[in-house]
Amino acid sequence: MTGLFEHIDVGHELQPLRLTLSSEQVRAYAQAANMPGGRFFSDEAARQEGLPGQIVPGNMSMALFSRLLAESLPGMSIKHLSATFRAPVRPGQPIVVHGVVIEKHCTDRGDLVECDLVVENADGERWVTGTATVQLAAGPTATAREP
Amino acid sequence: MILDLHTHSEASEDSRAPVETYLKWLTRKRDVLPVDGIVLTEHRQWNPNADYRELEDQYGFLILRGAEVETDYGHILLYGVNDAIAQRFDFANVRLNAQEVVSEVARLGGIAVPCHPGRPTIGLCEHYATKPPLEGVVAIEALNGGSRKGENERVQELIDRYHYRSFGGSDSHLVSFVGICATEFDHDIRNGDDLVRALLTGGYRPVDFRDRLRQGT
Repeated sequence: MTGLFEHIDVGHELQPLRLTLSSEQVRAYAQAANMPGGRFFSDEAARQEGLPGQIVPGNMSMALFSRLLAESLPGMSIKHLSATFRAPVRPGQPIVVHGVVIEKHCTDRGDLVECDLVVENADGERWVTGTATVQLAAGPTATAREP
Repeated sequence: MILDLHTHSEASEDSRAPVETYLKWLTRKRDVLPVDGIVLTEHRQWNPNADYRELEDQYGFLILRGAEVETDYGHILLYGVNDAIAQRFDFANVRLNAQEVVSEVARLGGIAVPCHPGRPTIGLCEHYATKPPLEGVVAIEALNGGSRKGENERVQELIDRYHYRSFGGSDSHLVSFVGICATEFDHDIRNGDDLVRALLTGGYRPVDFRDRLRQGT
């Protein structure tokens, strides 16, 4: 019997998320995450801070990475997640969250895969980049979602 | 010979890419990314002790080292870095004098070439709009794999006006972006001196493998 680890290979692309975050979603996330910065709540408050308008909290972009991993690699657990914020993510703009498996390791801590992760806009501009180390679920039941 | 002249490994604070994983990825993607080697251009630093010969032998890629420094004309890539260049400049200084960098690096045996010239604030185009052109620049990074829409296109104006030679690099900070843009040389490059000589004399051009990569996956 083989599990997900054996079925995915280096170069495997995770099922991309295509979405447009609404201003309300961003506000709700910031409120739930107890992130009081005005820039997460309205264009007006963001402009007072010198920004072009309301922006998505960095943690929310990282949450999108987590969602991408969870939906593409069912049953996985994240061991490490990092992000580099290259440009502000704004609500109301279509984004694509995608990733690819870049390495696999069998370790005494389990079967691990390394992924590159990206949030980009419709023109392919990379706004947030990241990496993740995830442990895949053991056993034959889990199946990777194909892009 | 094809080299990616602009890459960052995990030695740069904003990169998560181990050098060996770059090489494994390039090995795996060789049919769509026909790159023969990479140049590590870490941000604002030079480590005289870094040695990748074992990885070169193991994976069969050329690994050269340079640096990306920050100046009053934006970011500049340095190739052929040697002890004299490393002692002459504080690579961590984010306000280096660009003219000094270009002139002195050349005098000391290397070459300094502006990267991502079309990028706001840190690219040459914006600085040339308000300041005199730098003397002694022979080439610029006309194709940068991390550029936003329109940034690479802005560079052509500089090339036409100042007759700069052009090269390409991925500016990869993640493993899966290495080699997407690179430079094709007419002659083999075996070491840093060869690279400096080639960049000075010509016989190279930027190459873009992004379409091939998209079609090949």
